[in-house]
Amino acid sequence: MAEYHLNGPLTDADVEQLNVGDIVYISGEVFTCRSRLQKYVFDEKNTLPFSTEGRNILIHNGPIIIKENGKWKLVSFMPTSSIRFEKWGAKSVDQWTLKMIVGKTTMGTETAEMMKAKKCVHVSPRSVSPNLWIDSIEVQDVHLYDELGRIEAAWFFRVKDLGPFIVDIDTKGQNLFDRMDETIAKKKEQALRDLGIDPDYQFTKLY
Amino acid sequence: MIKTELYEQVLLETVKRGATELSADVKEAFVTAIEKETNTDAKKGLKATLESMELSAKRENPLCVDTGWPIFYFKVGNRCVLEGGFVELENAARRAVAKATELGYLRATMKHPLTGFDPGNNIGMNIPDFTYQFVDGDSIEISYAAKGGGSECFGGTRHRIVAFADGIAGIEKFVIDSFVASARAGAVCPPSVLGIGIGGTANVAANLAKEAACLRTVGSKHPDPMFAKIEEDLYRALNSLGIGILGAGGDTSVLSVNVEYAYTHIAGIAVATSTNCMVARRASTRIEEGGRVTVMKSPMWFGDR
Repeated sequence: MAEYHLNGPLTDADVEQLNVGDIVYISGEVFTCRSRLQKYVFDEKNTLPFSTEGRNILIHNGPIIIKENGKWKLVSFMPTSSIRFEKWGAKSVDQWTLKMIVGKTTMGTETAEMMKAKKCVHVSPRSVSPNLWIDSIEVQDVHLYDELGRIEAAWFFRVKDLGPFIVDIDTKGQNLFDRMDETIAKKKEQALRDLGIDPDYQFTKLY
Repeated sequence: MIKTELYEQVLLETVKRGATELSADVKEAFVTAIEKETNTDAKKGLKATLESMELSAKRENPLCVDTGWPIFYFKVGNRCVLEGGFVELENAARRAVAKATELGYLRATMKHPLTGFDPGNNIGMNIPDFTYQFVDGDSIEISYAAKGGGSECFGGTRHRIVAFADGIAGIEKFVIDSFVASARAGAVCPPSVLGIGIGGTANVAANLAKEAACLRTVGSKHPDPMFAKIEEDLYRALNSLGIGILGAGGDTSVLSVNVEYAYTHIAGIAVATSTNCMVARRASTRIEEGGRVTVMKSPMWFGDR
């Protein structure tokens, strides 16, 4: 598995070289979103009030940010679970011309297909380490703060060598966690046998 | 009588400690997991997590950005007298949560379930949650637990009625199936502290599971050998799956498996799971009748475990 230090905005070539299992660190300008921003744009048909050109890395995240001496101060940061945004995943990759989504967990098949078509990857954290990350992040700006609130607003960050993240969906349509599912399923069969439970065990149906 | 000013101050300090300091038993489990880990990336991830958590205590910032559902457990002496009574205790706990949010120890995470309205202070209908246990004595032990969204929202918490015909095999199959599904891609933030409730009505099993996940000392064993064996067997089974930290591979998938039980109906066995994330945030403090305050290493909700 290779390690990459990438600078945003990312190009097709930057992300096409990545394979599931590779480790990446990112630098450059990124933005954040959670459910409400995607609902606001894709369901409620509002226009995104900023351009994603030159800012094609999205982090699924609801940071803790306070105002200190008139300046934004990032208190805590940890990517949140992307899988819950699957409903909007493909649209966000397509309409926001994303090259990378950073988030915990992964995305579903619809988003993965769009990622393959549009050359975009999903990367996932390997630790819960907010304090090792906040020093690599500078808060630049915020959009939709009044409309969506402090956590769900779109924050603009400038990040420096933020990582490590593991590539879990690459531009070839491979998913690291699908592979993990196969190995875990095999180990689970053995674990059940060791406990004296038939892997094809059927529960007595009560309902 | 324990004064309002004192218990309100203790409540805020306990919330702050729960949000910003890793418990000693969880830290010990992390150190062991780091020593044992053979997957290089997983080992780095565990180390980075522990390093970040130790910085939280120094920087007085949250261990994780998701500061979770605020939950209080009160172990109350039968002769404990509080100024203003228990209604005032709950009001003081709400004020402490609001203050902790204002001070940045908690993120404003609690919202209206339908409108999404954010009160900005984590206070709303039935939140924070309060649970009481009554014991002999005149002191009160206050425990604060923060149940993370990841651990609660992705199937780490669920229940099933298992037939007596299926017994222990049915219980263990259900737990293993549930954990594998919920830990996929690291959704419940493994390595987890897995709580299991067996018996009672579904809500009794679910409460026992949550208390076993949030309050049991990590590494403790159930005193009844039958239940201790289920804990050991499932701990070994789940750690053989290779799920690892945040689901991307590794040797430690659970830090602990804690089982608690209640008697059940002849018709069936309610089994519930509650998965706590790797941070397993909690803090406990005892206030004695004379006003003496003691920081507790562990909640000791279930006797000595």
